[in-house]
Amino acid sequence: MISAVGIDLGSRQVKIAALQGTDLLWRRKFDTIPFYKKFGGLRDGQLTIDFAAMELLTPEEMASVAMVVTGYGRNTIDLTGALVIPEIQAHVAGARHQTGLSTFTLLDLGGQDSKVARVEDGRLMDFVMNDKCAASSGRYLENMAKVLDVSLEELSRHHQNPVPLDATCGIFGESELIGRILEGHSLPRLCAGVNRTLIKRVAPMLHRFPVDHLVLTGGVARSPAFRELLRVATGAEPLVPDHPQHNGAIGCALLAAAR
Amino acid sequence: MTPFIPPDPSGNMVGFTTTIPLEILVAAGRRPVDLNNVFINHPDPSSLIEEAELEGFPRNICGWIKGLYSVVRHHGIGEVIAVTEGDCSNTHGLMEVLSLQGVKTVPFAYPYGRNAATLALEIETLTRHFATSPAAVREAKTELDRLRRKIHEIDRLTWEENLVSGGENHYFQVCTSDMNSDAAAFEKEVDEFLAAARQGPPRREPLRLAYIGVPPIFSDFYPTLEKMGARVVFNETQRQFSMPFATDSLVEQYRRYTYPYDIFTRLEDIEREIARRKVDGVIHYVQAFCFRQIEDMVVRRRLPVPVMTLEGDRPGAIDARTRIRLEGFVEMLRSRQ
Repeated sequence: MISAVGIDLGSRQVKIAALQGTDLLWRRKFDTIPFYKKFGGLRDGQLTIDFAAMELLTPEEMASVAMVVTGYGRNTIDLTGALVIPEIQAHVAGARHQTGLSTFTLLDLGGQDSKVARVEDGRLMDFVMNDKCAASSGRYLENMAKVLDVSLEELSRHHQNPVPLDATCGIFGESELIGRILEGHSLPRLCAGVNRTLIKRVAPMLHRFPVDHLVLTGGVARSPAFRELLRVATGAEPLVPDHPQHNGAIGCALLAAAR
Repeated sequence: MTPFIPPDPSGNMVGFTTTIPLEILVAAGRRPVDLNNVFINHPDPSSLIEEAELEGFPRNICGWIKGLYSVVRHHGIGEVIAVTEGDCSNTHGLMEVLSLQGVKTVPFAYPYGRNAATLALEIETLTRHFATSPAAVREAKTELDRLRRKIHEIDRLTWEENLVSGGENHYFQVCTSDMNSDAAAFEKEVDEFLAAARQGPPRREPLRLAYIGVPPIFSDFYPTLEKMGARVVFNETQRQFSMPFATDSLVEQYRRYTYPYDIFTRLEDIEREIARRKVDGVIHYVQAFCFRQIEDMVVRRRLPVPVMTLEGDRPGAIDARTRIRLEGFVEMLRSRQ
């Protein structure tokens, strides 16, 4: 029987996790835009998500389940009793549970944001997040894969001998990458160059924190090339939990269960 | 709210790009207009930026400079004091474009090293330019200081008695740069506010924040934080506009005014107030494309409490990402309590 559900309404994907006690029962993932098209609607001028229409839970479960929501769309869930929490709280709770650590530095690279949080003895001590530009996020990688005409999986395989690319802006980055393609560099080197720009973007944020334990979450955590480049740049072995993309949703579900 | 300033056929208005010795304009009987306040209180401030960009201002420079430019054009302001040292060098370019269009521009410089003799000469030059006398300026200072003391009381009620919101604290202090262009009307507003504030119940936000840097370009910054349970009890630059250090000397007053000088001078003031006001965390606001983003490095290394750096570009409500960042910061402070 489901006891708690956590929902992370991300900019790129919506992630849902269900728990029984503290055991993960199931996870779901939806692309954000189709998700809002299908389940979202305007009510009293406000975007509202019809959770019941998703048919993830039986009516009995709906009546009894505890629910916690976070992410960009966190105020749109139409469910009385659902608690809305800040993203960072969800991510820290998820990372603590998934890794069993209580002192660590968390790097979360999502669809649109990069965040670094420092947790000591289970307490959030410091937190930074990228500002305006999404040039160090999953969205950036998707755009660059499209420019290179490769899949994300292919892009994520290459880390050696990166072509130099600037890391200031995702849009300038595209034109720069096209310039590099026209110079005739090999595809693996171009892919490695794109992966390397991510490191350049997150390094100044990470630099402020110890990397005694470096936990890596978010969709970008699935990239082997990024993990390798991060290991070289920080000297620390990044620890990727079992469900890096669902880390926030799992954190929400845990906090729901604890209520 | 700052009243919307209609065009100025009389030619009596004098605009300025940041705080200048207001006493001189008051003594000269001119109408002082802080161009920043007119820009940000315009019904559609973004349109002013777009107009300036249409005329050729680059997209990647500070929004305030572009807003100031359009304000001068809209209101037909014929004379502008441009602070050429102690603020940013974009002002030089602004001044040159305005003078090309027939606006009389008057330079004023705060010496970087806070040299008293140099500052005295600047004040003397400005006094002479506006054809007034040191005696009249002294008289204006006495009168302005009387009103400033009421603003200092609003500030005290904010942090010591918790009777004033962060937004109210911001508003009354930020207005002191030009006293809303009408000191008598402003004083009436201040008196009414003080009387009401003293009667109000104390506020109960559990977290106390300091706001440092130039005033925010966001329209809903303070209420957004208060809804999260965090209240700004120290607005650094706005408080500086109200000349918080009592002195009889005009030169000394504008030497002790910290905003135009180096970051270390500002940090002394910030550190003292953080301790006195028992601040839990600091929000350092930086304008996009501003040199003060470099100073952020010093701020972060020096301050003893957590700092969040917040970047703003265009006027308007706080966007979803900035809101998420603010929530994260407030959450972190809460978990440290």
